[in-house]
Amino acid sequence: MSEWIAIGALIVVAVTIPLAMMFVSWLIRPSVPEQGKRATYESGEVPTGSSRQLRFNIQYYMVALLFVIFDIETVFIIPWTVIFDDAVSEIGFVDAFLPMAAFIGLLVVGLAWAWRKGAVSWVKSPKAERQRIE
Amino acid sequence: MTLPDTISDLLGIGGIAGDLVGALLGAVLVGSIILAQAAVAGPWAKRKITAAFTDRIAIDKIGPMGLGYIIVDSVRLLSKELIIPEGVDRPAYDIAPVLLAGSALLGFAVIPMGSGIQLADPEVGLIYVFAVASLASVALVMAGYSSNNKYSFLGGLRAVAQNLAYEIPLILTGISVVIFAGSLQMSEIVAAQSQTLVELGPIAIPAWYAILNPFAFVLFLAANLAEVGRNPFDLPEAGQEIVAGFQTEYSSVYFVLLYLGEFVHIFLGGALIATIFLGGPAGPILPGIVWFLIKIWGVFLLTQWFRSAVPRVRIDQMIEIGWKGLLVLAFANLFLTAIIVGVLPT
Repeated sequence: MSEWIAIGALIVVAVTIPLAMMFVSWLIRPSVPEQGKRATYESGEVPTGSSRQLRFNIQYYMVALLFVIFDIETVFIIPWTVIFDDAVSEIGFVDAFLPMAAFIGLLVVGLAWAWRKGAVSWVKSPKAERQRIE
Repeated sequence: MTLPDTISDLLGIGGIAGDLVGALLGAVLVGSIILAQAAVAGPWAKRKITAAFTDRIAIDKIGPMGLGYIIVDSVRLLSKELIIPEGVDRPAYDIAPVLLAGSALLGFAVIPMGSGIQLADPEVGLIYVFAVASLASVALVMAGYSSNNKYSFLGGLRAVAQNLAYEIPLILTGISVVIFAGSLQMSEIVAAQSQTLVELGPIAIPAWYAILNPFAFVLFLAANLAEVGRNPFDLPEAGQEIVAGFQTEYSSVYFVLLYLGEFVHIFLGGALIATIFLGGPAGPILPGIVWFLIKIWGVFLLTQWFRSAVPRVRIDQMIEIGWKGLLVLAFANLFLTAIIVGVLPT
C-alpha cells in the first residue's frame, strides 16, 4: 500500500514541476499580441484548409489494428514468463513450453498472413507511382 | 527497504502520516536527481558530445567549458513569448507538454538507483514502467493533432505508428529477462543479477542479463532507440522532412517541456536498460548510485553517438524494420531464452 502512496507522491511532483515552470515563465515572459504571428507554419505560405481533415495514408490504421492483437498477446505472455522457471521444475520443460509455443505460433501465422497481404508494407498511392520520375 | 520508509524512520514519524511525508520527500529527491541529469546536465552534454563527434567546439564562452550556458539557456527559453497559434484545440494543446514531461518522470518511481534510493517496489514494477512510458505516445498524438498544423499532424501520426511498431518488440524483449528472474519486481530482477557467472582469475564476471543473453540486450537497445525517437528512428520530428513534427507550433515554456520530456525519456530508457540488463546499481568500490548514473550516462552517450553517426530510416523502412524484423526477432529471442532457462541446468 505504501508503495502506491509513494507513486502517488511522484505523480504530484511530476505534475507540479511542469506547472511551476509554466508559472515562472508566465512571470518573466513578454506578451506582444499581434494577429500575424499566430498563423500556423506552412513553409512561409498562408495556411490553406484545415489540418484536421487531412486524408492520410491508410497504413497508419493497418498497423494500429495489428498492434491491438499483438498487445493483448503480450499481456498473455507476461504471466507465463513469471512462472516459467517454477513450471519447468514442476511439470517439465515440454509441458511448460509447448502450450505457449503453440499460442505464439498461431499469432506468427497471423503475422505471416498480414505480411503476405501487404499489411506491414508501406501502401504506395497509385497516382504517386504513375508520376514517379527516375 | 524503500526510500520513503527510510525517510519516515529517520524523521521518527510512524503510521499513515509517516508514509505520506516519507513518500513526498522521497519523490522530491528522486525528481531532483532525474532533473539534475535530464534538464541540467543533459542538454549541455548533448551539445558538447555532438560537437565532439562532428569536430567542433560548440559552447565555450560563458563559464568553464560553457557550463554557464545551462543557466543562460534556461532563462532564455523560459522568457520567450508564448505564441498560441490560431485554431489550436485548447485543452489538449496545453495538456500535451505537461503529460509528456510528467509521464517520463513517473517511470522512475520503481527504478532502484542504488544506495537505498528506490521510491517504490511494487510486484508489478516492470509492467508499471512500460505502462507509464507508453503514456508519452498519447501526449505526442495530442500535441500533433491539436496544433492545427499539417506538419504537426504528420509528426503525430508518425509518432504513433513508430511507438506501436516498436512497443511490442520492446516489451517482449524486456520480459524475456523475467524468464530468468522469475519476478516482475525490480529489486528481485536486480538481485538475480548479482550472482557470479564465471571467475576469470581475480575478476568475477557477474550474471548480468546483458552478458547472459546479449541477443536480447541488442534487440532492446534497438527498440529503445525507436521508443525514445532518436536516430536512426527520429521520424516523428524529422527536421528535413516535416519541420519539427509534433512540436512545430510549440514555443516558450511549452517547447521546453516537450524537450525536457524527451530528455527524461532517454534517461528513463537508460535507467531501464541499466536495471534489467546491466545489473542496476551493481559495481565494485564506488557506491551504487554512482554506478547507476555511470550506466545511464553510458546509454545516453550511445544515443548521442547514434544521433551523430547513423542516418535516419525512411517511414516505409521504419514500418518494415519494426514489424518484419524486430518483432520476429523478439519472438525468436523469447523462445531462445525459454529454451536456455528450461533445458540448461542452472
